[in-house]
Amino acid sequence: MLIIDCPYCGPRDQLEFSNGGEAHVKRPDGSADIGDREWGEYVFIRANPKGIFYERWVHSHGCRKWFNCVRDTSTDEILKIYKIDEERPKLDSFKNNVKTPSGEPNLGSGNFTVKK
Amino acid sequence: MSELNLTDNKFIQFHQKIGFRFDGVKYYGYKGDTIASALLRNNLKLIGRSFKYHRPRGFYTCGIEEPNALVQIISEYSEPNTRATIKKIYEGMEIESQNRWPSLETDIGSINNIFSPVFPAGFYYKTFMGPHKNFWKKIYEPIIRKAAGLGKPPKEFKAVSTHLHHNVDITIVGGGLNGLIAAKSLIDTKYSVLLIDFDDQLGGILNNSNKVLSVNNQTPMDWISETVKEIENSKNIKILKNTLVTTYNYINHLIAVEDKFVGSRPLKDKVNSTLHKIRTDQVILCNGHIERFLSFQNNDLPGIMLCSSFEKYMCRYGVIPSKETVVFSNNSNSESLVFSLIKKGFKPKAYIDSRSGENIEPDLFDLIRKNDIPLYTNSLIKGAYGNKKLQKILVEDSSGGVNEIKTDFLCLSGGINPDVHLFTQSKGLLDWDEKDLTYKPAQAFQPTITLGSASGQFDFNAINKEINEKLVIFGIKPVQINLELNTSHKFKIEKLWEVLPQKQTIWSKSFIDLQNDVTTKDIRQAISEGFDRIEHLKRYTTNSMGTDQGKISSINALGIVSDLLDKKVNEVGTTIYRPPYAPLSFAAIAGRNSYEYYDPERKSPIHNWHITNGAVFEDVGQWKRPWYFPINKDETMDEAVQRESKNVRENAGVLDGSTLGKIEIKGKDALAFMNLIYTNSFSKMKPGTSRYALMLGEDGMVKDDGIICKISDEHFIATTTTGGAATVLGCMEEYAQTEWPNLNVYMNSITEQYATFNISGPKTRNIIEKVFPEVNFSNEAFPFMTFQFHEYEDTPIRILRASFTGEMGYEIYVPSNQALKIWEKIISFGKEFGLKPYGTETMHLLRAEKGYIIVGQDTDGSITPFDLGLDWMIGKSKKDFLGKRSLIRSDTVRKDRKQLVGILPTNKSEKLEEGQHIILDKEIKTPTPMLGHITSCYQSPTLGHNFALAVIKNGQSLIGTKAFASTPELKTIEVEIVEPIFYDKENTKLAS
Repeated sequence: MLIIDCPYCGPRDQLEFSNGGEAHVKRPDGSADIGDREWGEYVFIRANPKGIFYERWVHSHGCRKWFNCVRDTSTDEILKIYKIDEERPKLDSFKNNVKTPSGEPNLGSGNFTVKK
Repeated sequence: MSELNLTDNKFIQFHQKIGFRFDGVKYYGYKGDTIASALLRNNLKLIGRSFKYHRPRGFYTCGIEEPNALVQIISEYSEPNTRATIKKIYEGMEIESQNRWPSLETDIGSINNIFSPVFPAGFYYKTFMGPHKNFWKKIYEPIIRKAAGLGKPPKEFKAVSTHLHHNVDITIVGGGLNGLIAAKSLIDTKYSVLLIDFDDQLGGILNNSNKVLSVNNQTPMDWISETVKEIENSKNIKILKNTLVTTYNYINHLIAVEDKFVGSRPLKDKVNSTLHKIRTDQVILCNGHIERFLSFQNNDLPGIMLCSSFEKYMCRYGVIPSKETVVFSNNSNSESLVFSLIKKGFKPKAYIDSRSGENIEPDLFDLIRKNDIPLYTNSLIKGAYGNKKLQKILVEDSSGGVNEIKTDFLCLSGGINPDVHLFTQSKGLLDWDEKDLTYKPAQAFQPTITLGSASGQFDFNAINKEINEKLVIFGIKPVQINLELNTSHKFKIEKLWEVLPQKQTIWSKSFIDLQNDVTTKDIRQAISEGFDRIEHLKRYTTNSMGTDQGKISSINALGIVSDLLDKKVNEVGTTIYRPPYAPLSFAAIAGRNSYEYYDPERKSPIHNWHITNGAVFEDVGQWKRPWYFPINKDETMDEAVQRESKNVRENAGVLDGSTLGKIEIKGKDALAFMNLIYTNSFSKMKPGTSRYALMLGEDGMVKDDGIICKISDEHFIATTTTGGAATVLGCMEEYAQTEWPNLNVYMNSITEQYATFNISGPKTRNIIEKVFPEVNFSNEAFPFMTFQFHEYEDTPIRILRASFTGEMGYEIYVPSNQALKIWEKIISFGKEFGLKPYGTETMHLLRAEKGYIIVGQDTDGSITPFDLGLDWMIGKSKKDFLGKRSLIRSDTVRKDRKQLVGILPTNKSEKLEEGQHIILDKEIKTPTPMLGHITSCYQSPTLGHNFALAVIKNGQSLIGTKAFASTPELKTIEVEIVEPIFYDKENTKLAS
């Protein structure tokens, strides 16, 4: 169970939050003018990387505020939490120990129990 | 008094006799006894039958690692699979053995053992495949379930447990020697500390063995009681006894379960177990080690036990399971047992060691020689034999000769493993130690410290150094503990995983997993069939998949596999250790969120009125809503609904609609926001008017509907469906915060602040004019879909002219605390006009007659507004709203989409049912193409027959044609596809 540091309320148990999927997916404007493919990708397609992931959370059983979060999906480590209107932190500002696409971090992924 | 008692024991209260029953026979034990120690005192060694072959089994260990001794506690709601080695007895306890029939001594299922050649590894996967797919479910599974298995499910169980949260700096798991030293060194520091132990006595190895003679020149007992007293008196350390840490989650989140009734009968209304949820900055694991067994022929016979367990029975429970035992070992862990036995005057019948004489600890060697104990070095046990108990063993000595030793007991040690379960749950990595032949913690992933044997540190003399090095981060004073040891302080072991079985008789087996009856032969077979990855092998053979998780055997399996594959053990790896460490009951996990507290109940402000007036309730989400109001006990729901709906159509009815979601939207940009959220356009609406509105998902599918009241461009009140209120508010919040943060708009739920009463029927106006005489309800002054604010006896109310029944109607919004007053007024003024309350079922019937949909019943997340024939609700001139672009996706403009239609049976006496499929052919042949299904179906008192709403492919163009509804009995009913409206098609009533 994660501890999530709500930017408005402080650290709270994951129980109080809901995950909102990938962050920084921009809703296309003037939606009638865009093609089926672009709109379809906005509605249905989301990234699901192993490793560093930008995602949204909402403090649904708290202040009801949405915010963004950078999490390493292979170790569950939360690397940064920032408000919705703050700038997206650059990917290279985080250390990514995952050799994508199918590599695993040696420690913490839970896929290994033995040191190799 | 039993001659097996060691009455100088300090933990067992020999003056306090306790009577209990095992399989109907009365036995006596003493206060402090576990079921196992009490039965051993009574010289009872057969405790159960094994999982698959029904072989007789005894007590193999003296703790949580026990694979065999699982019993059913009849006196505690028949609690199954309780470990007899840890469950304490109390007066009047009733225990039964498991998995045997008709009795433990004579078990018919043991015939499985003779048929065992047909039960190899993967047997279930290979055998029960045919001849028909139903055979597994109907025939094989029930038989196997009856024959193979553990205990029976508990009866009349009522869980009483609670949860407790802790936030501490340091959590110490295990109150043995290292745990106590660590805790003692943290006394009166700035840290808050939790010390957790599974036993009711702290001390661990000091209590369970004679390994340590003195601590700091005190007897271990004195040192423990003094240390515990100091810890208890400290302000910063809390001790939790009888508490097992089962789970080590991410971010140092531990789950532990505490048994509140150790050694006494659980009281019905008191909390039986507490689930501790612990958040901590640092975890210190001092949870010790577990001894391994060894595989040889019939290594499962009652009378075979692990060495340290035997010693624990002597030291901790004051019972000697046998006065003449043989000891077999490949390591130095057996040394302390031999010392203890000789000290008590029960010298072993023989000592067998796979090591050569010079590798055996010199002290032990001398002791054995001095006491004339037959010594077999370089020797192996080839097999154990006996009928339902151990009677003899065969020993192959260094010269290759086979010796027969008659004995009723054998103590066994195959080495020791640090208890790495919690460490690996925390995602720490292990490393194989070639010298000590075990996996040891190597690299922690979380802030975890391991101490003592839990860290693989088996050398007592290294305690001070290890603690001082590892706890230096807490800035503690260096610890100096002086131990006087009974045994050699260094751990030594020689590799031995199994003694290869020689001549096989059908009955003889060499087990690798006692609980799941997996043999070393099964391991070989799995590997020869290609299951050579340890995770595959585990699942194929079920090795270490029992409730004991192979605590005494899984490392042996790795050793055997590594030898067979000629790989290093590190290359073989381990299977992943997953929580929980040991089974914990669902009752403990559920805590107080059970029975009436399982889910919150939401009630209308006038709920009690409904109860007084005999309403039958329906659950709608968390809400309790009146379903119907029967006039007497004999009236069925069908009768009540026919009566209620007829009354609404002829006179008037009133519905408590308080559960409808209500959301207030305010802000400078409220209008722009509402135009984006809903499909309709609110721009041209006049203040004081309202509109039926649809909300879509971005995929263009209908998500919710409701009535939007516009108070001004900056203030709206929206209603939602009863079940959708939270989702709608959540969706509004999400878009307001993440997509359109530039819009100045705020929203809040006012569902519970206002009650809603819907009056409808031809006589509505007569009634409402009497209730609110100062309001002009004429069509001109109060037209359809408008609302007004009024005051009624100082209560502000809002009246909305709208209808969900097809009759003319009004909705009255009242502050919840004034709701009952107004409701009662409506009921009493309405009496002379025949006004009656009605429930949700009547509401459903009436709205269906009018063709009004219910989101979630007539739609299922795959229905667009066009599919519902609601094209007129789409604000086509609006540039954007949720899901707008999706309405012109290729999928949503398909011609053959399922569309809402009405369905009437051609033969008016036929009854339709919700969920029935609509098909084109009268005869059902498989497969039959399905057009769609019936979503709502009722018997209409107004029409005098059945009618239904359905979603069917290309429905709008099929109107006027015939089709068939299929029944579960594979019959068909001829139906007519019609417009989805059955009552007042011209809408004359709404505006009357």
